[in-house]
Amino acid sequence: MPISLRVARDDWIALRKHFQPSFRLRSGLETGALGVLGESRGRTTHELLLAKVLWPEPGEVEMSRGGLVFSASYLRRAHLVMRAEGLAGLVTFHTHPGADRYVGFSAYDDCQDPLLVENLVELEPRTRLVSIVVGKNSQAGRVWINRDRYEELAEIIAVGDELSYYPATGRPQPPPPPPAAVFDRALALTTAGALHRLSRMVVAVVGASGTGSLLCELLVRAGCRHILLIDDDVVLEINLNRILHATSEDSERRTPKVEVLRRAIEALGFGCRVEAIQDNILADETLMRLRDADLVFGCVDKAYPRKLLSEFSYRYLRPYVDVGSEIGGDEQGIVSLDGRTNYVAPGRWCLLCTGLVTSRELAFESLSYEERERVIALGYSRDLIIKKPAVMDLNMRSASYGMMVLRHLLQPFLLTPLPVTIAENLVTYALRPLNRPRAASPECRICQRNRYFGYGDNSAPMGLDRESLKIILGPNQMTESEPSRGSSNEDY
Amino acid sequence: MCPRTAQEDAGRLARRGLSVTLVETPGQCYAYASGIEAATPPWDRPAYDLMIAIPAGYDDAGLDAFYLGLPYTFKGGTHPRVQGATIEINGRRWQLVSWHYPEGASWRRGQDNLETHILHCKGFFFHRGAVNAY
Repeated sequence: MPISLRVARDDWIALRKHFQPSFRLRSGLETGALGVLGESRGRTTHELLLAKVLWPEPGEVEMSRGGLVFSASYLRRAHLVMRAEGLAGLVTFHTHPGADRYVGFSAYDDCQDPLLVENLVELEPRTRLVSIVVGKNSQAGRVWINRDRYEELAEIIAVGDELSYYPATGRPQPPPPPPAAVFDRALALTTAGALHRLSRMVVAVVGASGTGSLLCELLVRAGCRHILLIDDDVVLEINLNRILHATSEDSERRTPKVEVLRRAIEALGFGCRVEAIQDNILADETLMRLRDADLVFGCVDKAYPRKLLSEFSYRYLRPYVDVGSEIGGDEQGIVSLDGRTNYVAPGRWCLLCTGLVTSRELAFESLSYEERERVIALGYSRDLIIKKPAVMDLNMRSASYGMMVLRHLLQPFLLTPLPVTIAENLVTYALRPLNRPRAASPECRICQRNRYFGYGDNSAPMGLDRESLKIILGPNQMTESEPSRGSSNEDY
Repeated sequence: MCPRTAQEDAGRLARRGLSVTLVETPGQCYAYASGIEAATPPWDRPAYDLMIAIPAGYDDAGLDAFYLGLPYTFKGGTHPRVQGATIEINGRRWQLVSWHYPEGASWRRGQDNLETHILHCKGFFFHRGAVNAY
């Protein structure tokens, strides 16, 4: 299984800036830095995550024209952080000033890397060492398991305001294959390179109801070839007004929503594979399936799943696009018709800071079912249990904005920075890019001061175990082991 | 299992000598706080015990309301806000009290915690702080 390195885009930009002096002058010196790594082991992917760059203090990196030496104290500092935090390994970056579009490890590197990994493994046997050599416009990497064995690093994935994939082979990216004729008309927006990338991505869609079904359709027709679809619910008659491809027969048979979409998408003949997971995203083992995804679309309408997906984004350095729509009304009639898309990623605000998830909603949803019933009986939570209206035409607008965000991430086209929230109010036909988070907390433990940022598997579970999930959802809520008894818990 | 953030909060309070412990019942975590002062009269004793339900998403998820250890009397009878469900934990009965944060002063994520919520609950016994529910 190829190993990749995933980094926050801000860190990648800062590292590249740190390395610039090496490439400014002809006689530039080597520069370097160390970082600590978390790990993400999915079923089909294996990635190391740059949790933190430990910038060198004066004297910790000795630079000369002959080569670069990380001081023993610098290496010890990084290794101590790794061990104290239970992380997976270290990464060393160093430049080769003469290299531009091609870069490779020197004989000196070939000699030093095995010695370094041997020392580190002696102190902590599970230490992985990633060694990266950087050219002006290239990078090459290898992952040392022990002094006698390493694997080539496949690529470096930078996640943030854009989604960038850099080959770690020391060579330029080979040109993409010519796209299939079916995508010709979209090439102006999504070039052959971006299309090729999309065709190799695994895109997770959490929620296979109104918005999720539309997003799947858009993904397939944009060229995505692998969708990981998660939803625990089945089709009921009340869903038929908005789930694409769902039939009255599905509602009679109570076909799982994910199965309806898998069947329909695979029948389109685009060669898109749908992995249908009929389970609740609050379950830790289901949440962890997202480790195999390159990008996550959240099409849920509850606070707790949104909070977990936000946390996942920072802990596993994954881009997360949340889409939703809302119809608001009072005795007089419709007061709001909103379509909305939020983009969450390292360096950006989480859904709690944007105000989309409130502490009150989250508290209500994450109490045990019995406790929640007692709170409802007090009479002050009725607004939290109202069934939210939904129509396909409004969902379509949200799904469309979500898909456009993905296209932008792969092939930037926006003339302004991607806003915190893209909101459309259809009562006034006003599209508003919201650039400020409504409930920003500089102390936010999810997006601002997340001590598990990039820790991946090297941190405590985020989701719920089966027993806790059962207790929170209560009776009549379906889990994998307990077939549905007719839950209408749409999009949970 | 109680959320790690609640465990950290309770540990911090305990180190400061405050009597707050976490109680795990099947499926729900509670914080038990004893010796919460009350005005006598109208309350029948100078200190009460409380139980606070801790949601799994704490402390991004806020705390709200509390359970009052029974029995109690207020002005010789019952209190109009002690009207919620009654539960039994560790052989003692507790009744849910409708004591919420007022609109515009709700749970402040990153600032409020178990300690500030207990302070908020103390206001109930002196009839100050939040009066109206959401």
